[in-house]
Amino acid sequence: MRIACPFCGERENGEFTYLGDASPKRPNFAVDSGESPEGVEDAFYDYVYLRDNVAGYMREYWYHGGGCRSWLIAERNTVTHEFRSVTAAPGVGAAKPVQAGE
Amino acid sequence: MVDYLWNTQSPLQKALVPGRHGAAGAHVGVTLNEVRDIVLVQVMARRGKAADAAKAAKKLFGIEAPATPKAVTGKTATLIWSGPDQFTVIAPRTDEASQLAAMVQVFAGSASLSDQSDGRCLIRVSGPRGRDAIAKFSSLDLHDLAFPVGAAANTSVDHTAVNLWREANGADGHPVYNMLVFTSFADSLWHTVVDSSLEYGVEAASARAA
Repeated sequence: MRIACPFCGERENGEFTYLGDASPKRPNFAVDSGESPEGVEDAFYDYVYLRDNVAGYMREYWYHGGGCRSWLIAERNTVTHEFRSVTAAPGVGAAKPVQAGE
Repeated sequence: MVDYLWNTQSPLQKALVPGRHGAAGAHVGVTLNEVRDIVLVQVMARRGKAADAAKAAKKLFGIEAPATPKAVTGKTATLIWSGPDQFTVIAPRTDEASQLAAMVQVFAGSASLSDQSDGRCLIRVSGPRGRDAIAKFSSLDLHDLAFPVGAAANTSVDHTAVNLWREANGADGHPVYNMLVFTSFADSLWHTVVDSSLEYGVEAASARAA
């Protein structure tokens, strides 16, 4: 499997580390949102533990630790290992400010 | 109280045996040099200050800092891309304190600097079979079209992080590759490089950066 790092170009997968699903977003409740403690707990339980077991394309975090040391988001087909796209994760590099919640 | 004698020595003190190794004969296939007496500084642009850092680099070194995996050589230093919005400055050591002070001044507020002068070891691989030797342990495509003069890469060799870049061809017309490696891994990497080169005939030496 070879992964096309958006910064370094195509490299062997041994240079990368897999983290997992890139789709869960950290729940963000305002103090006075009125959400019940159970609702908050459920949302965090979902965020921390529950994952879809996708057969097909999914968005994943990959870390190019053996190269530019950037976090990447890849769209990979879990059945064929085909990569559809590999892009920098939010906050990589100094050019762009990080958006809240990313 | 114990008196310490701080004995500075090369990370390749034991591993590097100067002279000819491997295949006998008049022909040297691979020339290996440890390049000593370098000043090496990692420059990382601060959040939102990438353009300012690039401007500062241009002001001090007179060259554009690389924004893609490339090594750019100016009069006083070579700037090697080492990741998004970061690069490594390498220069022959003349007056280290003033070399560092100049960088601290020009990058103030736009980038964070980290002095790696004694943290990395620079190994230079050249000669007619240098590329063949590297191809044995690197997964990079080193063909002239894929990795021309000025190309750079952060990569892994033997599970060790290596900054690899290609400088201008040597006087013999053959490619010259530079490998920067953490000092503590230099011994191991040196053995890897030597072992890969033995069949071509090796000339090993330690040299001052120029």
